Amino acid sequence: MDQPAGYLHWGFILISYPNLILIGIMIVLFVMALLLPFPGHASGDKGKKS
Amino acid sequence: MINEPTPAHLNQPEVRTVPYDLIKEIAIAMVVSLVVIIGFALFLSSPDVPSVTIQSWSAADPADFVTTANDELAGASTTANYGPPYNNGNGSVQSIGPISPQSWAGVHANVDQPHDFVINPLKQAAGNDSQLTTAIGAYVAASEEQQGKWHDAYAKALKDAKVSNGQVTVASGDYGPVPQMMNRLLQLAQTGALDGLLLSSDHFYQTDYTKPLLFMNDGGYLAGLAQDQHLTGTQWGMMNETGLYPGQTWLWLYTLWYQVPPFNGVSNADLLVVLTMVILTLLLMLVPLIPGLRDIPRWIPIYRVIWRGYYASRSRELS
Repeated sequence: MDQPAGYLHWGFILISYPNLILIGIMIVLFVMALLLPFPGHASGDKGKKS
Repeated sequence: MINEPTPAHLNQPEVRTVPYDLIKEIAIAMVVSLVVIIGFALFLSSPDVPSVTIQSWSAADPADFVTTANDELAGASTTANYGPPYNNGNGSVQSIGPISPQSWAGVHANVDQPHDFVINPLKQAAGNDSQLTTAIGAYVAASEEQQGKWHDAYAKALKDAKVSNGQVTVASGDYGPVPQMMNRLLQLAQTGALDGLLLSSDHFYQTDYTKPLLFMNDGGYLAGLAQDQHLTGTQWGMMNETGLYPGQTWLWLYTLWYQVPPFNGVSNADLLVVLTMVILTLLLMLVPLIPGLRDIPRWIPIYRVIWRGYYASRSRELS
C-alpha cells in the first residue's frame, strides 16, 4: 500500500486511481440507495392514513 | 413523507404517513460502517510515511540545506520576505482590493530567520568551540554590505558544490566566515540537534513546528517530495494521500479552483478560493430562499424515485 499510486491525467483533471475508485463506489452506493426498495416497505401502498 | 405543494395536494384533507424507525437505521448504518472501517484498518493499515525533519533533509540533500541556510542568513528566502504573521515583508501577502485578512491579523508569530534558524542555534552549539564563536563574531561585526557580498559569492559557488560523505565543499573564494558557520550548522542538522533547537519554546511540550517547517519549505527538498507524491496545490494535492490510499476526496471543490483560471494564474489564489467557497456555502445555506435554486428538486424530481411507491399509488387513486 505504500507504493506510489497511478494517476489519471485528463485535461486539467489529475486524479489518483484510488480516489477514482472511491468516488465510483460512492456513486454506485448513491444509485443503489435510490433504486433499492426500503426494507420492509417495498411499496408505498403499505402506508397508513393518519 | 415528502409532499408536493400542488393544487391536487392542497385538496387532500389527509396526509398519508409511513412509519419508519430512523434510530434503528442510523444504528445499523453506524455498526456496518464501524465493521467496514475496522476491517479495512486491519487488512490495509494506514499511510505511514516517515516525517521529514531537518535531520532527514540535511542528510538526504546537504547542498540544498546549506544553500537554504545561506539564503536565510542573507534574507533572501521566502520566509525572509513572507509578511504577516511572521514578519513585516510583503512577498506572500494576499489581498483583494482593500480586503486583506492576513494584514489585518498582523505579525503575531514573529520569525527572525537569520537569528532563529542560523545564528542562535550556532551560538547555543558553540559552547567551548572558540573557532565557531570567533566566526559568528566576525560575521555579526561585518557590515551588511560585506555580509551580502559573502552570501552572494557563496550562493554562486554552491551551484557547483560537491557533496562527499554528507559534507559540502565549494571552490575557494572570499566567503568570509560563512562556510565555517554553514558547515557547523550542517553538522548540527545531521545529528538532529537543530530540530530540537528550532522547536525550543517556553512550553513544557514542544509542539510548535512553525520554524522547522518554514525552514524546510524554503528549500527544494520538501517541495520535491511533495511533487513526487502529487501533494502540491497544482496537482489537486489537497485531495491526495500518500501511497495507494484514497485521500480527502470531499475536498475536490476546494482544490478544483486552483487548477483553473483565473485562480491558477494569480498570487492571491488562496484568498480568492476562500471567498469563492464562502459565497458557494452561503448559496447552499440559503437555497430555500433563492428562486430558481429552490426549484431544482421540482425540475429534477429525484425524490419521486425514492418515494416511487407512494407516487405510483397516488396516481392510481387519482385516475
